[in-house]
Amino acid sequence: MPHQCTNCGHVFPDGSKEMLSGCPDCGGNKFQFKQGAVDDVGDDADEQQITIDDSAAGDDSAAPDDSAAADDSVTPNPEPATEPTGTTDADSAGTSDTTDPTDAEVLDDDRSPGGESPAQSSARSDIVSDDELPDSPPPADDSAATPTDSQQPTDQSTSDAGDVGEATADEATSSSLDQLRQELNDQFESIRIVSPGQYELNLMELYDRNEYIISLREDGRYVIEVPDGWGADEPT
Amino acid sequence: MGLLTNLRDSVSRVTDRLFASDDPKRIGIYGPPNAGKTTLANRIARDWTGDAIGPESHVPHETRRARRKEGVDIERNGRSVTIDIVDTPGVATKVDYKEFLDHDIEKDDAIRRSREATEGVAEAMHWLREDVDGVIYVLDSTTDPFTQVNTMLIGIIESRDLPVLIFANKIDLDEADIKRVADAFPQHETVPLSALEGDNMDEVYDKIAEYFG
Repeated sequence: MPHQCTNCGHVFPDGSKEMLSGCPDCGGNKFQFKQGAVDDVGDDADEQQITIDDSAAGDDSAAPDDSAAADDSVTPNPEPATEPTGTTDADSAGTSDTTDPTDAEVLDDDRSPGGESPAQSSARSDIVSDDELPDSPPPADDSAATPTDSQQPTDQSTSDAGDVGEATADEATSSSLDQLRQELNDQFESIRIVSPGQYELNLMELYDRNEYIISLREDGRYVIEVPDGWGADEPT
Repeated sequence: MGLLTNLRDSVSRVTDRLFASDDPKRIGIYGPPNAGKTTLANRIARDWTGDAIGPESHVPHETRRARRKEGVDIERNGRSVTIDIVDTPGVATKVDYKEFLDHDIEKDDAIRRSREATEGVAEAMHWLREDVDGVIYVLDSTTDPFTQVNTMLIGIIESRDLPVLIFANKIDLDEADIKRVADAFPQHETVPLSALEGDNMDEVYDKIAEYFG
């Protein structure tokens, strides 16, 4: 599922690790899912049906300015499928109070009764079969590496942070599926929202991770504290 | 010049503090929900500072944010040991709002509590990773200590080489089984106590001074 910077609206393609280094446009580090099918990486229609949860826009203060424009036009992502199509909802969700550099916020897909989309649960619980993968998938991590590798944190949980989606479109496409699954695994295996008010926790994962979850929201969003080293100073 | 002098002085103060051997140790009070962590933290804080740390309750996950009491001076055998106490939320692998419904809590409130409790577990684990110098692991001696949470947490604590004391709490209850707790973690010293009644607190403070002083 694509992510979107809640500050400027920059959209990250499916499976992109780019946002782990902060938004390349505005340096923000609060993101939300753009709702839509996950498996159909190249499906424009999904993007056009984006309806960001009202609460996402509602509880964020109206931040300014160029968020709408950025959302619509500034999309360095070479993958056309994830280029935003300027839905007004997405615009409003692009407003945000996300100037706090220590927080990253991710909007979970909370539309399904279980609090997660089928793609998320699939990504968390299933193993990718060979026929789901593109032809000769690149060797997991470093094939799509970019200069952001230089700021790659040391911890294992972020070891794929340099595996960003700023590579060529081909690379992004070919590795997007397994990247996406890995990304979702990374995001959800610490705390699993079984249903509202019911959680399963992976203590080892909570202990091992650099960042830690400091706030869960009713709509499935959560706020994590990101270690200082996760700067957003790389232009690419 | 004054600025430089001040800067040098503050750097000196910081380094002095960093390397001072008598810096207060930050002791995390860990354990599953409802083991009596806050009751113990309050008992220690009240005994030595007169203040409490947080509200106690029979409702699990009452403590949903870590609370800290700094500079608790415990005097034993003519010398003083200073510790910072961190009362942490109870650690669990599952949090379900339904367990709050049994305590006359409305569903909406129960769901909110559940969410906060989950955040609390994350915070407790974060503290364990980053911010504690020693651990008091509190167990309810009336319950089975062989649980996934206990095993996992003790394992993490051991992997960090942190000094740890096992406190077998609630010995004032008939069902208390101190030996079962001691047998569960034979590699660590187990101290029986009742934080609620104040039973065996002398030994508790002796051990705290011995382990964390």
